[in-house]
Amino acid sequence: MEYTHITPRPVIHVDEEACGNAILCLKCVQACLEAGPNCLGFINTEPPPVGENAPQRLEDIPHRIFSCYMINCNGCGKCVEACPKGALTLEMPEPQLPAVRVQRSDIIFCFTLRDGTRTFPRDD
Amino acid sequence: MCRYCVEYGGGTKWYLNPDNYRDELYTSGAHEATVKMLTGVQKNSFEVGAMTIADESSPDLYYSDTLSVAMEQMIGHGGQTVPLEDALKIIDLCKGPFFLMNCACRRYFGKTDVLRCLYLWGIETALKERPWEKDSKILSKEEAKEFEMDCDKKGFLHSIWHAAVDTDGIPPIVMCHCTATDCIPTKFKLSYGVVNAQRKGEYVTEVDLAKCKEGCKEYPACMHRCQFGAMRYSPVERVMYIDPQACFGCGLCRPACPYGAIKLVDRSSYPSLVDNW
Repeated sequence: MEYTHITPRPVIHVDEEACGNAILCLKCVQACLEAGPNCLGFINTEPPPVGENAPQRLEDIPHRIFSCYMINCNGCGKCVEACPKGALTLEMPEPQLPAVRVQRSDIIFCFTLRDGTRTFPRDD
Repeated sequence: MCRYCVEYGGGTKWYLNPDNYRDELYTSGAHEATVKMLTGVQKNSFEVGAMTIADESSPDLYYSDTLSVAMEQMIGHGGQTVPLEDALKIIDLCKGPFFLMNCACRRYFGKTDVLRCLYLWGIETALKERPWEKDSKILSKEEAKEFEMDCDKKGFLHSIWHAAVDTDGIPPIVMCHCTATDCIPTKFKLSYGVVNAQRKGEYVTEVDLAKCKEGCKEYPACMHRCQFGAMRYSPVERVMYIDPQACFGCGLCRPACPYGAIKLVDRSSYPSLVDNW
């Protein structure tokens, strides 16, 4: 059986149109930094021009918000609260059975098969 | 000694081999392209851009091979942890001047104290293509050494980063000073298991247990310096134990010991660490 487990983690959707140029605000980045996980960052949407039209300030470059290391996210929602434009949505993952690394594909827990039968008789 | 030192070490470590600091290396082919990319306008798209796709590329953390393989193939840029004495030797091997630039890992996550990237090459490109970074500084050799020692004091991890790995050499281009909580490649390694993102140093920490026992006793002074959780305090024996498998050999814990009980030894002196980079 092919292993297809996905580590459950929250997802942050950024409405880039509503957000606009992220560098002018960065309230969500600051909120996430203060909350601890530090999962939000900002990046320029494309490399800025070189030469005469080169931007002289960071604020002149269009930026967008991105999320990463969402395994550290505890879903506190401080970033969503901090956004003045309502551009962020936090999607919590579906509850999942724990994944265990075992050789037999039909085993989900040490002594229990996926259908609930015990492989090892124990006196409960 | 990993592949870098075997192929590009010339009998020593790859970053201490003067052959890798030849002028013509930096102006040839793939190397020059990497230097231009990492000091020019594409810097953030490359460095921070890798983060934006990290979660999608690595859906399952227990089998993170996808991201690992992708990073291995994209071997145009990589780094290794170095202790202070090697960092100073690297400064000595370069001609200078050095260019202190914004650290993307700290800057683009809203953190302060961003002047932590010391470029050994590429000042012209950086000045021309990144005019908005007004706080960048040009440092002389002495200033660069002072900067290294200051970083060591404050607890920033030294790491040396190379441009493209090519047949003619592997030129070091930048020294980074970050922490495991901020550094993009270190987080890649610790969170996603990408081995080559930031290689461990050529050293590993050893504690002289007899000295340690006579020393701090209840409140170990070195423990807060470890970025990688490689130091374990035993309240029974009242000594620090090192987990050599977790140790990056950065040497930050060493100056924190008031009793001189911590020293760095060669990684190769531990047979079990031969493949642990």
